[in-house]
Amino acid sequence: MTDSPLPTDTRPPLPGPARPTAPPRTALRRYTDAWRVGLRITALNFRAQLEYRGEFLLQVCVGIVWQMSVIVFATVLLSRFSGMGGWSSPDILLGVAVRMLSNGLSVLICGNVGQVVNLAQAGRIDGFLLRPMPVYRQVLLSRFPVNALGDVTVGIALFVGALERSTLDWTPGRSAYLVATVIGATLVTCAIFTAISAAGLHYPSTTYWDSWVDELTSTFGSYPLSIMPRLASGALTFVLPLAFIAYLPIGVLTGHSSSLGVPVALAAAAPAVGLAAFVAARLLWNASLRRYKGVNG
Amino acid sequence: MAADALPPATAPARGALARSALASVGRSWHTARITALGEVLSPPRMTATAFRLLVQVFLVTCLWRGLYAHDPGSTAGLDRDQAVSYAVLAVLATRIRGLDRYAGRDTVFQHLYYGTIVFWFLRPLPPRRYYALRALGDQLYGCVWVLAGGLVCLATGVLMAPVSGTALLAATVSLLLGQVVLYQLTLLTDLLCFWTMQNSSTLQIIRFAQNLLSGAYAPLWYFPGWFVTLSSFMPFQSTLNTPLSLYIGRIPASGAPAQLALQACWIVGLAFLTRLLWHRAAQRVSAQGG
Repeated sequence: MTDSPLPTDTRPPLPGPARPTAPPRTALRRYTDAWRVGLRITALNFRAQLEYRGEFLLQVCVGIVWQMSVIVFATVLLSRFSGMGGWSSPDILLGVAVRMLSNGLSVLICGNVGQVVNLAQAGRIDGFLLRPMPVYRQVLLSRFPVNALGDVTVGIALFVGALERSTLDWTPGRSAYLVATVIGATLVTCAIFTAISAAGLHYPSTTYWDSWVDELTSTFGSYPLSIMPRLASGALTFVLPLAFIAYLPIGVLTGHSSSLGVPVALAAAAPAVGLAAFVAARLLWNASLRRYKGVNG
Repeated sequence: MAADALPPATAPARGALARSALASVGRSWHTARITALGEVLSPPRMTATAFRLLVQVFLVTCLWRGLYAHDPGSTAGLDRDQAVSYAVLAVLATRIRGLDRYAGRDTVFQHLYYGTIVFWFLRPLPPRRYYALRALGDQLYGCVWVLAGGLVCLATGVLMAPVSGTALLAATVSLLLGQVVLYQLTLLTDLLCFWTMQNSSTLQIIRFAQNLLSGAYAPLWYFPGWFVTLSSFMPFQSTLNTPLSLYIGRIPASGAPAQLALQACWIVGLAFLTRLLWHRAAQRVSAQGG
């Protein structure tokens, strides 16, 4: 089965008095309708989460706490060591902030892909296949990821702090590139976890890898990879593309292009790489869904 | 049958007692090995664990060596080899913490959520003993990974040798005591589930605090003085920071008795608390429908 709405009804119309037919919907109308439905479902999910207010607040705290663990690690490194790979503290902090903000946004948008294993085991994916909405979108809308509110809040706070400490001259061009970097970083993160969840449709043990990659991303996704040996930095660039989240684009932005270990053009194209990675991950997800077998085989 | 009607203990009766004791040990063994057996019977999972540990150790080693390449010498009382050894051992030790029974739906949280906790109280094996045996098996299995990983790291020069035989002995004893403290803290967290049904967020926050205050994220010695003082008043550092610091020599062997005594105190205090909570928790359990 494919990741697409069910085919339209092709049966001949029933006999009876002619009824006025609705005008055909334009592509724009279908697009806005899809957004409207998505937002209504999100609002409903949000209200459902508010039903347990104590748990709601605790989930926000979980997001904050998770981000704090990254801040704690970064603070320890920045306070005890003079620099990493020749980067100054404000430059490193900007990289950490971009990664954390993009992480928060990716959890808010794509966080539910981590639930694919549970949804498949509970048989809910089978139900999603019967509804007139793409399955991937239904997975994203299956619940409101409350912890993302904490993630995004801390991410924004650190991002603002990093910009204040930055010594860069924020010209319109640089500012636009920074915005593109955050969007690209969000797309890279979404792509990584979407690709993992594609395997989760078939293998329940994928959660094991999901948590590990999450851990790797938070530990190594924010810092200059130039302190690593070539093998490790190469693997974190081309196998697991963590370098495209913050290290490469922030390296270009802060003037470390010559020591990034990849051509400057590739490093500068990190936001575009993010888009390409997400498209590739979605295609992989669709291909995986076509081979999906329910819990009953 | 009345007690006075029982026949006097004879040789065959003593034999039956011995057989019963042996059967009890056998049952305990079968309970303790559940998680380990599940892992051993799943070679992809074992391979994934080995791969994950290998990559994590490699990256952590690269990170700390890279940091010390710019600042050679001692930072916060730790030189490069000590810092790398601490971080690598922490990665290996988290293997013990990482073991869970969530996939098998045998966590206290899940049993309470689905109402199946009642079966723990209906079995011939008391729930406290069942929990302890499962934890013992899990922690022993995790320790095998730590030991194997430690030996490989030692042979490849990633891990420094212990500063002395006394330090190794103290670190080993401290690690064992730390595992008991870890067991009791985990039990305490699980017992809280009897009072709070929707508490996955609370559990995550507690786990974060445990990892942070035990030195799993970064060696505690790098943190500000006030943080190190604060953590010394809590039981978490007994689970990881104390044995690791003894191993790398950051806490001298002469300071070991005081540290071990502190760990013993935590064990006694937490044992009283968990015993009390088990008793209270048992009174709260009811079959579905009341």
